[in-house]
Amino acid sequence: MDTLYNIGLSFRLAFRNIISSGLRTWLTITTLSLAFVMILFFNSMYTGWEYQGIRDQVNWEFAQGQVIHPDYDKLDPFTIESGHGKYEKDAHLTPVLIRQANIYPDGRMVPILLKGIPADQQIVELPTQLLKESKANIPALIGLGMAQDNNLKVGDTILMRWKDKNGTFDAQNITIAGIFETNVPTIDAGQIWIDLNRMNQLTGLQQEATYLLADAEYNQTTNASWNYQDKEALLKEFYELIELKRGGSSFLYGILMLIALIAIFDSQVFSVFKRQKEIGTYIALGFTKKRVTFLFTLEGTMYAFIATVVGSIIAIPLLSWLHEVGIPMTSNVDQSRKMGITVGEYIYPLLTPELFSKTVFWVVILSAVISYLPVRKIAKMNTVDALKGKK
Amino acid sequence: MSTQKNETNENHIDMNTNNIIEIQNVTKRFPVGETEFTALSNINLKIEKGEFTGLIGPSGSGKTTLLNLIGALDIPSEGEILISGKNVAVKSDAKSALLRNEHIGFIFQSYNLLPVYSIFENVEFPLLLQKKSKAERKEAVMQALEWVGLSDIANKKPSQISGGQAQRVAIARSIVKKPDIVLADEPTANLDSTNAYKIMDILKKLNEELGITFMFSSHDSKVIEYLRRVITLEDGKVKNDETK
Repeated sequence: MDTLYNIGLSFRLAFRNIISSGLRTWLTITTLSLAFVMILFFNSMYTGWEYQGIRDQVNWEFAQGQVIHPDYDKLDPFTIESGHGKYEKDAHLTPVLIRQANIYPDGRMVPILLKGIPADQQIVELPTQLLKESKANIPALIGLGMAQDNNLKVGDTILMRWKDKNGTFDAQNITIAGIFETNVPTIDAGQIWIDLNRMNQLTGLQQEATYLLADAEYNQTTNASWNYQDKEALLKEFYELIELKRGGSSFLYGILMLIALIAIFDSQVFSVFKRQKEIGTYIALGFTKKRVTFLFTLEGTMYAFIATVVGSIIAIPLLSWLHEVGIPMTSNVDQSRKMGITVGEYIYPLLTPELFSKTVFWVVILSAVISYLPVRKIAKMNTVDALKGKK
Repeated sequence: MSTQKNETNENHIDMNTNNIIEIQNVTKRFPVGETEFTALSNINLKIEKGEFTGLIGPSGSGKTTLLNLIGALDIPSEGEILISGKNVAVKSDAKSALLRNEHIGFIFQSYNLLPVYSIFENVEFPLLLQKKSKAERKEAVMQALEWVGLSDIANKKPSQISGGQAQRVAIARSIVKKPDIVLADEPTANLDSTNAYKIMDILKKLNEELGITFMFSSHDSKVIEYLRRVITLEDGKVKNDETK
């Protein structure tokens, strides 16, 4: 109870002292709360992007996991030729077959990836029912990016050339049955999707697949010789990209945070220098030096407390609003998608309780450490000199 | 008075002994560059309960140094300072802080009021550390302010009052916890004659009516007029010890 009383008293005294410091206090709090808002803004933007990216990639590309042919490496295009094989049927797996092919839009030869997926699949959001509904000989789906790059629209026919299982080239016209819009460029750029049955016929690769999309109930009992990767493993590169971006932006708010911490440090140095008589008086009235040190550290830390309150008043409504309306990414989205980065036209910042509490924790802890450093000298201060206000 | 204080408390001052302060062979040296300056040399003194004593002497004679040692604000280089038989110099920081809070009041030459607090809060401050209830604190503060005739300015800030009033607030703060000893370092040095006499009148009255032991350091003749015992220091030594 004594400790609680003492801490409570120190809190009251520290609060009174910093509120009475006037403009200097508010300048420090303003800088710190600005840094706090920036940290929350950038981090919630990346968290929002991360959530959107995970959702889109799971819904459009990865499903709940993939069972990948052991010879196939998605980072090595040379493995496409041999990286496929027969698979065991499983109600929880959806096969996808990949082959290299070329199309000839406007007389140019464009290398593409031809991907076969069952037209009746529902595991990913590709609108494959359009393949079923089409009366064309070889109906195909392409993404909006692919359509724009090659000037293609729904109903267009275009010559496609591919190699069958014996390595013999074959060519036929395909018809664009649908154009889908997705934030996941890795299923769009340079890719044409057709029905797997049709692709089996065209290539002669019956009941073969490059990888199998798994739903949540797949238990890894079938196709055990293939490599199973769950969605977390598949998203690893995306997580790394987000962390890289997050690290890059942390430089900006790191500078802001540094300025705020320097302001606290400066206030503390100034306090110890200017308030020596007050320090001596506290000791004469019965404070221990440790307690005066605690009081002064608390004053510095209280800047952070108040700044997080002020910052929260600004950041929480702002980020909630931005979560509703989104931040347009139009200037970067095309370039990012061309680089294979999953990004929506709008990013919806997401301020999670974890992100908020973590940020508050670190801002307060850093402020406490910075506040303590200059006031350590109180412990070594000569009380008599302090009482006289000797510098 | 403080007779109600807990008997088991290590900081308890034994009020049965008549000598409230005993200074035994105290020497205090300060480092000056690579040499040392001896501020006090082999001082031996005994101060009885209820005394109204002053340390007088020219600047540099060691008055304030001795007062600081008695107040456990500093420690002697040699010798012992006993407050009712207990050596204050060897106490830990926490114990000497408790001793100062419960048994010793301080009055400083430059008042040393805390600028951000009101007069009431300044006087209340030592009681906050004693964990008294709000009602107890209010009663004690108002009583102390009445003793010094300042109950009407309790809500003002130190910056809004005169030097004489500030010193009276400092007196109220020193006696609010009803200490056994009040150490007053040059309490009238920053005051005009009228205020100096007013202050000394108040202190005399507190000594007589509350039985608080007062110990001054001063070279002000107005203070000396009031003292019942005058200890003259010169070059860090007791030159004369006279009881009127």
